[in-house]
Amino acid sequence: MIVARGLTKTYGEKTVVDALSFTVEPGRVTGFLGPNGAGKSTTMRMVVGLDRPTAGSVTVNGRSYADSPAPLREVGALLEARALHPGRTARNHLRWLAASNGIPRTRIDEVLDLVGLESVADQRVGRFSLGMGQRLGIAVALLGDPPVVVLDEPVNGLDPEGIRWVRNLARELAGQGRAVLVSSHLMSEMAVTADHLLVIGRGRMLADCSMGRFIADHAASHVRVRTPRTADAEALLRSRGLDVDVHGGELRVQGVDAAGVGDLLGDAGLRVHELTLVRSSLEDAFMTLTADSVEYVAGAHTPTVEPVREAQAVR
Amino acid sequence: MTATIDTVHLDPRRNVPGVRRVGFREALAAEWVKFWTVRSTRWSLAMLFLLGAGLTTLVCWAAAAAIASGEAGESPGSFITWGLIFSQLTALAVGTLVITGEYGTGMIRATLAAVPRRGTVLAAKALVLTGVLFVAGVVTAVLGYLGGNWFLDREGVGVALTDDGVLRSLLGSGLYLAGLGLFALGLGLLIRHTAAALTIGMALVLVIGNLAYVLPGEWGEWVAKLLPGNAGSQVATAVSFNPVALGPWTGFAVFAAETAVVLLAGYVVLRRRDA
Repeated sequence: MIVARGLTKTYGEKTVVDALSFTVEPGRVTGFLGPNGAGKSTTMRMVVGLDRPTAGSVTVNGRSYADSPAPLREVGALLEARALHPGRTARNHLRWLAASNGIPRTRIDEVLDLVGLESVADQRVGRFSLGMGQRLGIAVALLGDPPVVVLDEPVNGLDPEGIRWVRNLARELAGQGRAVLVSSHLMSEMAVTADHLLVIGRGRMLADCSMGRFIADHAASHVRVRTPRTADAEALLRSRGLDVDVHGGELRVQGVDAAGVGDLLGDAGLRVHELTLVRSSLEDAFMTLTADSVEYVAGAHTPTVEPVREAQAVR
Repeated sequence: MTATIDTVHLDPRRNVPGVRRVGFREALAAEWVKFWTVRSTRWSLAMLFLLGAGLTTLVCWAAAAAIASGEAGESPGSFITWGLIFSQLTALAVGTLVITGEYGTGMIRATLAAVPRRGTVLAAKALVLTGVLFVAGVVTAVLGYLGGNWFLDREGVGVALTDDGVLRSLLGSGLYLAGLGLFALGLGLLIRHTAAALTIGMALVLVIGNLAYVLPGEWGEWVAKLLPGNAGSQVATAVSFNPVALGPWTGFAVFAAETAVVLLAGYVVLRRRDA
């Protein structure tokens, strides 16, 4: 279990992590979500004692990481795949790590097998692809068979098969009762992996809730209505206490399903040209939530990449 | 790829039952594995040996006649650890790479995550480095002595192990190279960049050390005597070429103190800075 209280990191004037308090519970995958530069990696580095918090604290299983009797057996972390010497073989990289924490050498073959690197174990890691490096990083994280696993952007550089493998692995680790913290800047990745969500932007906590709760709160849906008598339809729906927005020639009605809207309009004898339930994607919900906190925004002159979004967006 | 993960029955709130507290011994074992599993250290040690023992032998072969005739105007004791001048370079390189190699590749983060107590990491690195360099230095010096002395003997100017300062210079070669390794380790911690740390280390020990002898007056003489390379190398020479030098053990004490200061500064930086 990871417990952070008021965790803060500033570099000079810039606050990268701003008073974060959260708990990563055992037995579930906690998704750590935020745009690039939101402070995810810095937070994770503070968990394993690489960066010193400016204020606040973070503990792992009730004590600070440095006080652990054998840290790799307590927390396994994939912080960046390239935290290794390119001239060393994968097996030798695991060998020194095992030696540092009194982990039996038999475990090296187990984790190599687990991540599917047994055939390249004696190659220098400098020749590894990004995906292989990522797998080795995961092998390192699992080396000590730790009850807490921290994975920073684990699917970076993996092929679709590898991505599915990491998802399953995270779920499986949580299923074994481990506390799993997985970061990503992609909502879609979290949606299929995480039980619980921590969303941060510019170092601040924007949401700390279950995945289900997040979907219910942020991924609202509405019914799109097109009718030749927009004004009449709007008045009618409003008179029934529904929340209606007018967007050009269409109405967006919230708090009722398509059948409900259709029945109301039909009973009033209003002709309907379109009646569609529009669900916003989680990605949109995430974008909306973090819109004010993205660090790097493309210039306003950038052409809109995705014209479809307009039709999907929820106001 | 196996789907199941081999795991002990896991109490998620366990505080790692049955796990022994790991400490210096494990950190030392890890640094030992790290030291020998990169090519650069193995190459550097091979160079240290070849340059050290090889050049001593070579220079004794070349100079034996001149020493015997008195033409060289130097004592044979000055030549029997001559190759050390070049071994210094590789000792500095090994000491630097042990730490800057980790900063350059990002390895340092893995190291400090595995062993969060930074003092332990540094102590383990220092012990591996000094142990290896001491042994390498002594072996190199002894073989250089055996090779070089063979040629000196032929001209009748051979030196015996029991001669004044000879045994001391052979052990001193190990001490001096180990010290240089630590000095470079300290610089590497401060500078964190291979090329920069190596350049500064070599400049300080070799270039500035030699240039300082041209400084004028008594003041200049003292500066030259106290510079790390000049002070530390005296313990590794049986008879110094240089009349302006500290005594072997006085010099080594000065060098050890200088190394301690650099290493301590490096330690403070390691403790304070984020990895």
